[in-house]
Formats: sequence, structure tokens, C-alpha cells
Amino acid sequence: MPAFPFLSRSRHRLLLGLTLLLGLVALIFLTDRLCASDVEGDPDAIGSGTLMLRGKGVMTALPAVRLGTDMDVTVSGQIARVRVTQVFRNASSQWMEASYLYPLPEDGAVDSLKMVVGQRVIIGHIKRREEARAIYEKARDEGKKAGLVESERPNLFRNSVANVGPGETVLVAIEYQAPVRQLGGEYALRLPLVVGSRYNPAQTPAADAANVSAPLAHPALGKDINPVSITVHLAPGFKPANLISPYHRVTVEQDRTEKRTIRLADGEVPANRDFELRWRSASADPTIGLFREQHDGDAYLMAAITPPGRDPSGNAPPRDMTFVIDNSGSMGGESMDAAKASLLYALGTLRPQDRFNIIRFDDTMTRLFNESVAASPDQIALARRFAEGLEANGGTEMLPALTAALEDNTPNDSHFVRQILFLTDGNISNEKEMMATIAAKGGRSRIFMIGIGSAPNQYLMRRMAEAGRGTFTNVGSGEEVAAKMTALLDRLKAPVVRELKVSIEGAPLDLTPRRLPDLYAGEPLVLLGKGKMLSGKLTVSGLIGGKPWSQSVDLSDAIDSPAVAKLWANRRIADVEAARWAGETNDDTADEAIAQIGLAYSLVTSQTSLVAVDETPARPEGTSLTREELPLLLPAGWDFDVLFGGQAAQAGKQGDAQPAESAEAMDLPQTATGYAGLIGQGLLFLMLGLGGLALRRREARA
Amino acid sequence: MIALPAVRKGRRALGRALPNTLLIGLCIIGLSLMARGAMIPAKAWVAQILLDRAFDKSLLQHKPVKPWFWADTVPVARISLPRLGVSQVVLSGGSGQAMAFGPTLMPLRNPHVSIMAAHRDTHFAFMKQARKGDVIEVQFIDGQKQAYRITGFQIVRWDHFAYPRDPARPLLALTTCYPVGATEHGPLRLVAWAEAQ
Repeated sequence: MPAFPFLSRSRHRLLLGLTLLLGLVALIFLTDRLCASDVEGDPDAIGSGTLMLRGKGVMTALPAVRLGTDMDVTVSGQIARVRVTQVFRNASSQWMEASYLYPLPEDGAVDSLKMVVGQRVIIGHIKRREEARAIYEKARDEGKKAGLVESERPNLFRNSVANVGPGETVLVAIEYQAPVRQLGGEYALRLPLVVGSRYNPAQTPAADAANVSAPLAHPALGKDINPVSITVHLAPGFKPANLISPYHRVTVEQDRTEKRTIRLADGEVPANRDFELRWRSASADPTIGLFREQHDGDAYLMAAITPPGRDPSGNAPPRDMTFVIDNSGSMGGESMDAAKASLLYALGTLRPQDRFNIIRFDDTMTRLFNESVAASPDQIALARRFAEGLEANGGTEMLPALTAALEDNTPNDSHFVRQILFLTDGNISNEKEMMATIAAKGGRSRIFMIGIGSAPNQYLMRRMAEAGRGTFTNVGSGEEVAAKMTALLDRLKAPVVRELKVSIEGAPLDLTPRRLPDLYAGEPLVLLGKGKMLSGKLTVSGLIGGKPWSQSVDLSDAIDSPAVAKLWANRRIADVEAARWAGETNDDTADEAIAQIGLAYSLVTSQTSLVAVDETPARPEGTSLTREELPLLLPAGWDFDVLFGGQAAQAGKQGDAQPAESAEAMDLPQTATGYAGLIGQGLLFLMLGLGGLALRRREARA
Repeated sequence: MIALPAVRKGRRALGRALPNTLLIGLCIIGLSLMARGAMIPAKAWVAQILLDRAFDKSLLQHKPVKPWFWADTVPVARISLPRLGVSQVVLSGGSGQAMAFGPTLMPLRNPHVSIMAAHRDTHFAFMKQARKGDVIEVQFIDGQKQAYRITGFQIVRWDHFAYPRDPARPLLALTTCYPVGATEHGPLRLVAWAEAQ
């Protein structure tokens, strides 16, 4: 070689050229990546396709019927009574029928409908759903004014009003009540104002899909299409303090020492975000709330009992946590990442005094440790590596993993709190065996289901959590992991009261919930009961930090409240629904039971509706009735243009007063394997390696 | 005097061996990446052969037959696009795992709309060449056949997709990732809409 120094240099150049070429290949790969990620910010920039959907339907013309909503809330003690008055004003020159879809709290019970036409007030009656609809439609066709309240979902209602004359205004007032939520000494009232987020088609039969959606208003119409005004009369029974309204500006008036009136500072707000109000007691946190009602010869009771907030010893009891993680193929992609992130987060919250284990499963199963081990830094580091190495693959055999997790070598140990966290998308079929296993081997374990991904089998997971006396949490996307897991794990850190029992001396009461949960820091136990009469004592007992604790209340101290019977009925409906999921009753029996409760307590349910008809015919015979579904505002933070893109212009051409085409939203799955990228990267490495080797060989020869 | 060159020689040998090992390591990593990459289309291709058989069996037995005994998915339909010579067996579920083997039918309760999804670089690579007016034939497990004609394409973010609840004619949507040629995961999906004929 020394004889040809010139040649050797040219070879070097050749190799340099080769390396540059490889660099270029790498660059091409990089730009390809950029191309894919760039578009994230501007999805319309590459609109090469033709858009043919009109999304959920867009209304660009102002609706003929204008709507205003006023909410008047009275909070007495721990019950909120809400009167929602909707003002339908017909701005057109035609006779109109309008319907409006609106949300209510999930535990709210609608029991009253009043329709005000001019000077007359028409009071609604509770009827079976089909009957109510028939009465409404008959009245509508006969030209009479009619109002109808239907429940589309436990938290979604629809008001319809027929035959509103040109220029006329009709008021529809409904009333509902809901318990005030209490957590850690803080009370919260939440008034949902917006029908948010898409619903999950996997759980809901399409038969009624049209009922749970409404057209959306185009932003060009402004935000004042259906303005809302809110007044809250707060009389919590103690001096309220720390009043907070996190989403709206409010003004607070002090009526007397214990009463406050809260109004929106801006008067009216667009219905595009929920209203929330929170308060605390100025003095020590009250620990008992006891309310009663006499209704149709029966006595009803609501008792909210809050155990002391912290374990008196100051230490949260040590836990024995078993994490079960599903790494079957169906978890592939984002779900697996979210599950891993959740597990890693949970591992980070273990304390040295805790014990833990991890079980992963697909169609096979691996236990990280043979039995739970102390959460020492070494073991946690090992667990982290194990979790990070998990890959989604194989089928789903959940039963062996569940059995393994429930295996308890020390069933009588009361020192450790045994908690099982199950991370899965619930994509399985043998539900019956799973439920039977939990029932048979549940023991002292508490099962917390964490549903991963956008369409987890919520029914199964809720049922498993209920049977395992834990809770169900849904982690939809990777972004939600931190928020959802923090809330869950903070709660799990300190189970305050275990082995709760309720006993009554005196007249027997039918109490719900029947299966008592564990109580966590700051949570009250809310019991609803029904019996012939209220007398004697109610005693709640349990274990706080291993020591027995009990608290008795004298039932004759209960304060009269006109809401208790209806809240009891609403809870009973939830029980019937739970039995339906659990397969304990069939659909017909459950529907009939719900209808009976709805009729007896005058509640709007899935089987009963409120209907009001003004007997005087209003619309002259021969004039036609125009139907209109009122548009909804998008929830705050949602971007109209991103949602509907260029179709809005199209909708404008055809829009007008006709109801827009309705559509269903759905998430599309990740659909790229990226194998070409993998091969390309591999090739790049291989060529660099080979090139380097060749270069060295030549150098060596030279 | 003699020891010095020996030490130098040893250092030189080490200096030669270490980069060589690294370079060979690079080659091995490259090869294993390529093997992993190549497995994906190979798996997709082999699975379709097994699925084809399972589908034929399903047709005969009028019930879904598992393509291999540990599968947690079953064939539900066969789609073909005669112009491009494409024929594929569609799986139930819509899960990421099933998608490694074939296009999947998304679980919907709407009888008028079928939505199928598959990877853009394996089963639905043909979406690049599909055109408006192409005929897609779908054969269901009960032997029933339905022809659809592509009416248009749509590019949409994965979380901003919606389908008409009550279309005038039954609809079929084929969805895959967009842009079709990219190697990195992105938020966009390409949807081909086809109407029943």
C-alpha cells in the first residue's frame, strides 16, 4: 500500500462519501418524522381530503326559539334543592316546538314540572315514559301547549315544549334535589351546565343514540344563545367560611350569620362550563348530619356520619399492595404506556413500612415476587425495571392473575391493609367466573379497578370494584395518569375506618348501601333508610387504626327535611341498576321496579317522565308546527374549528332552522406499525458498523 | 528497552480490538432491529393466510372460527378491492393486537355504519392507491355480500372523528394513519368513506 499513497487517500474519500450518504439517509428518516409530528398543531393545513361529515351537527342560523335559563338553588344542611327555569321565547312568526338537552348531577332527582303560559300555571304529572310521550304528542297534534321532561341518562335530561305561538314566551320550571358532596370537611355543590364530552358507543345501544345528542351552535352566533343566571341561597346549618367558586366570578351577600346568598358577578354566563361552589364550616367540622321525612306513612332517614379525620396514632396503617397489570396484546400502544406510567407512579408512593408485589398477565402470568416483600428501595428499583420492560403481547387470561392476587397467606392479619390495584382495559369475556372468584376469595382484600384506555369495559370493572369493596377509576389517556392516580393513591394512603357496621336499636330500618365500604380520610358515611317509624339509636362502629371505634346518634334528633324520601328513592334506583349489571335481575324486572319507584315518588327516571298539558287549544287548526332542537354551546376549552374544520361553511348553506344531521363521535385507533422505520434504523446501524469496519481494515492494511 | 515496544504493541492491539467490538456491536444492533422490523410484515402476511382458512371454515360452519387456538379474536368478514387486487380477512375487536394480523372491525352498535381500521404500512397500505369510485366488496361470516363504492376521503385527528348516526345508505369507513408514508406515529388518520350500492 505505501507504494500507492494516492490511491489510499481516494479510498478514504470514498469512505467519507459513504458516511455522508448514510448521514443523508438518516436525515431523510428524520424529516419523515418531522412531517408526521408537524401536523399535530395544525390539522387543517393538509386538507387534501374531502370532508363529508357534519360532525355532531352544527347550527349556524340563530334558532327561532331563544332560551334563557335561571337556576335558583337552596342549600339547607346537606341537601340542595334546585329550581331550573327555562324560558322559551319564540322569535319567529311560526308556531314552534322546541326541545333542549341539559345535564343534571348524577344523583339528582327531578320531581316537579311547571309550565307557565301567560297567567296560567300548568303542573306536570308523573307518568310511565311511553304514556307521557303519547300524551305529549297527542296534545301537540291537537294544537295544545304541552311540556315534557324525559331522562335520557341518569345525568342527562331533555325538556320539550310544543305549540309556542309567534312572539310568545313559555316558562318551563323543573325542580330537583341532590345531596351536597362532602370531602375532608369541605362541602361542594356542582351544577352541570354543559353536556360535555362524547359518549362511549360501546356501552350504549344505538337505539337511543339520537336522544343523547343535540346540534352545536356555531361560534359566530356568539356565546349568548342560552345564557344562564344562578342564585344560591346557602343555609348549611352552620357559619360557612372559605366560600370558593373556582370557575365563575361570584358576589356573596351575608343575610344573617349563618346564611349567604351567592350570585354570578357577571349576571348571566354562557352555558359552557359547570358551576361549582365550595365551602367549609367556620367552627369545628360537623361530624353528624341527621335528617328525616314522613312520606305516605313511612319514615325516611338520611344520616351523614364523619369519623375523626385522622388515625389518632398519627400513622396511616401499613399497606400490603398487589399491583396486577394487563400486558395482553389488546393493551398495545397508548394503553400500555398509560398502564406502565400508572404503575410506576404507584410504586413511587410506597413507604418503607409497606409491602408490595406485582403480577403481570397476558395468556401467561408472572409474579414478580413469590409473596409480598417489604418496599425497600432495592425492591422498588427491581419492580421499576420489571414494569418498564413490559410489552403488550398475547391473549387475555385474567382469571389466574386475579386468583393469584387474591391469594392471602395471612387472612387474619389486621396490621396490614390489603389492597389490590388492577390495571387493565377489561377486554375479557369470562365475567361470571371473575365475579364468583371475588365473592369466594375476596376476604379482607380490597379491589381497586383502574380502567385503561378510552373504551374499557366499565360495567365489568365497576362490578368487580363494587364486589371487592374498592373503587373504579378510568384513566383515559396518558395525560390523565398523574391526575387520576394521585387522587386515587392519596385516598388509598389512609383508610381510616375499616369493618364498618351499622346497628339500630328500636324500630327496624331498611338501609342503603347494604354492603358498607371502607371510609377514607374525611369521607362521610351517608346512609339512607326507610322504615315504619324512627326511634331509638343508630350506632356506627368500625376499626380505626386497629382500635374499635363507634358512634351513636339518637334518631329522634333528626331534623325534618322535605327531600329525604326522594333521595332514598333515587338511591334505591341506583341499587336496582347495580343489580341489573350484576345480572341478579333481568331487564324487565329492573325496568318495572324503576317505573314503580318513579311513579310512587314522582321522580323522572329512565322509565317515567313528567308531562304537562294546557287543555285550552292554542294553535289554530290548519297552521303548521315547526320543530326545532335548540343548539348547545361547546364546552369551554374545546376548539370549534378543530372539531368541525371546513364543514361549517357547508353547514351554513344548508343550515337554517332545520335540525342538522346528527353524528356520533368516536376515537380512531393508532394504525401504524412503523416497521419500515425499524428496518431503516437497523440498516443505518448495520451500514455504519460495516463501513467503520471496512475503514479500519483498510487503515490496518495501509 | 525491550519491554517498552511490547507495552506499546499491547496498547495498540487493545486500541484496535475495542473499536472493532463496538463496530461489530453496532452491526448486531442493526441486524436485530431489522429482524424486529421484518417480523411485523411477515407476521401480518402469515396471519392473513391462516385467517383466510379460518374464514372459509367460518363460512361453512356459519359461526366464527378462531384462526389459531390461542387467538383472542375471530374473523368477521372479508373485504376486497378488485381494482387493486386486495383481499383481506377482517378481525373482530378493534384492538391493537388484532391489528397486527389483519384489519379490524371497530365495535359499534350502529347497524348502518361499519368502521374498519388497519395499519397503514401493512394491511391498509393500499389506501394510498385507492381512489374515489373504487368498489369495495365485503363478505360477512354468514355468506352475505355487500358492495360499497368509495365516495370520498377525509383526514381527521384521531380524537375528532365522527360518523353519521343515521345515514341514507349503509356506510363503510376504512381508517388508517396519515400521512401514509411516514414512519413515526402521528395524530392524523385517513378515512375512506364508502356507500353501499
